[in-house]
Amino acid sequence: MNVRTRRVTAAALSFSLILTGARPALAHGFGPTYDIPIPLWLYLYGAAAAVVLAFLPLALFSRKERDAPYQYPSFDLLRVRLLRTLLTSRLLTGGLRLLSVALFFVVVIAGLVGLQSGFNIAPTFVWITWWVGLSFFTAFVGNVWPLVNPWGVLSDWAEGLARRFGYRDGLELGQSYPEALGIWPAVGLYLVFVWIENVFSGSYVPRNIALFALAYALITLYGMAFFGKETWLRRGEAFSVFFGLLGRFAPTEVRVKDPDVCQDCDGCDYDAGGGCVNCYECFAHAAPDERELNLRPPAVGLGLPEKVPPGGVAFVILVLAGVTFDGLLETSLWLEILRLTPVTQTLGVILLPLLFLGIYLGFVELSRILGGGVGFGRLAGAYAFSLVPIAIAYQMAHYYTYLLIQGQMMISLVSDPLGWGWNLLGTADFEPRYGIVGAGFVWYSQVALIVAGHVIAVYLAHSISLRLLRDPVRAFRGQLPMLVLMVLYTMTSLWILAQPIVE
Amino acid sequence: MARSLILIAVIVLILGGLFFLLRPDPQAGVPRDRTIAVSVEGGEMSPAGISVKEGDRVTLRVSSDEPMELHLHGYDVEQEVGPKQKARLRFRADLTGRFEIEDHESERELGVLQVRPG
Repeated sequence: MNVRTRRVTAAALSFSLILTGARPALAHGFGPTYDIPIPLWLYLYGAAAAVVLAFLPLALFSRKERDAPYQYPSFDLLRVRLLRTLLTSRLLTGGLRLLSVALFFVVVIAGLVGLQSGFNIAPTFVWITWWVGLSFFTAFVGNVWPLVNPWGVLSDWAEGLARRFGYRDGLELGQSYPEALGIWPAVGLYLVFVWIENVFSGSYVPRNIALFALAYALITLYGMAFFGKETWLRRGEAFSVFFGLLGRFAPTEVRVKDPDVCQDCDGCDYDAGGGCVNCYECFAHAAPDERELNLRPPAVGLGLPEKVPPGGVAFVILVLAGVTFDGLLETSLWLEILRLTPVTQTLGVILLPLLFLGIYLGFVELSRILGGGVGFGRLAGAYAFSLVPIAIAYQMAHYYTYLLIQGQMMISLVSDPLGWGWNLLGTADFEPRYGIVGAGFVWYSQVALIVAGHVIAVYLAHSISLRLLRDPVRAFRGQLPMLVLMVLYTMTSLWILAQPIVE
Repeated sequence: MARSLILIAVIVLILGGLFFLLRPDPQAGVPRDRTIAVSVEGGEMSPAGISVKEGDRVTLRVSSDEPMELHLHGYDVEQEVGPKQKARLRFRADLTGRFEIEDHESERELGVLQVRPG
């Protein structure tokens, strides 16, 4: 049985046909890839560079002060008058929030009543602009999701209306959230999302996207009403947790100066001065002169000391396994050995994160044996964030050509979002340009990104190890297993990029 | 400080040297004329994957057991082809990357053209 028949069989068995009768779409929601596999020599070169460069942070920074991750240079953008006027204007923030809610409804309407095959804004907006585009923006500029999260905005509006009509207590039911649950609800919902992205064959069908978006909106609105808005966003809303994680990598942060304000918010990172960093709830409530919007070196947010909630390690590993899984699915190894059926795919989505988690915890245990000093649980929590740059780099390497090429579809889609032949802005006939980046450039940039993410990750593991273990010799021994794990993972990422693509 | 600089210099030398050692000679591949016979039977193209080098002057000689409109993505070359009508798709492989070949009428993917950088 060849690949195509297998794919059709797989699709026939899955829910899409049962639910909607739609024709099987692509294996994952992004449309065809324009990348060709990196050549063997470049794969070997990348792997060699990963090994050589892994020791660079060790050699360069081994004598730095242990508390280095607490202190880093930052510059408050709000001190510049022009930026302050611009960034704090109600017109900008309110406009973005309104736009976000409007886009949510456009996606739902286009998905429900728009053309189902071909021209429709819902798949391209959700998979390319929002999922790929916003995750890059969050990692490389800053986390705007807490501001524009459409369900958060809707909840705020409903809350405001309720108060105006006399419900003084608002709409929240104020049930207390079981702390032991941690962020496990977000882990579960994110797992479902990874499954939809990679396994569900109808993930590109507009109607399915609309139904998923509506269902997820209901879950989120209900969770916010039941447990309180911030409680649910922090623990149950998968994308708030996901973008929050990427936001730790970002070169910007929001900070509240006053420690007293920070006391009232839970789960925040505290800096040396007692202020709190990327604590969006506090930031929203703080007085204007208590707020800072800082430029900072990238990735330092991943090295901040903080309590990792239950499920926190699992979430990071799931993000890492999720991006790997998408690449792995396209390799012939996966197709030949494991066969492409919805059952094995679904098993893969569940087992790969478990395998990753097992390997990670194994290396953490090795690190504890070699470095000593700190308990297993604390070590597992502390090192988890150091893996995030690897996930971001792979995500970027794997998807940036999608964003560049498929993203151009948005130019024509904004003129005809439903596929009804409209031409609102006169751009409906725009044809995407394919030759923006040549395959050679793509190869080099992919390898460079992955190796760069790897070096940042090794550096973070190094500074985390120094902070926890204090003694440089023990810190060196303790981080060696992490270093080996990162080299192995980076080689796997490169290997996947070197595989011939099979669909 | 001096130690760090020496270290960085050594690493740059190692990685730079390795790059030029491993990289194949960029002058090795001169553009060629490539004529490739392709047949479509029952919605399957054989060979399913065509691989050429950047700059090659490519001619695809296509035969098909059913009438269709063959479309090469990215290059936007289109030809009608059918049981009584063989087609010839000619283009210079200037865009590198992976491009799908599809039947424009049914939008069914038939195969893939890969253009490797020269």
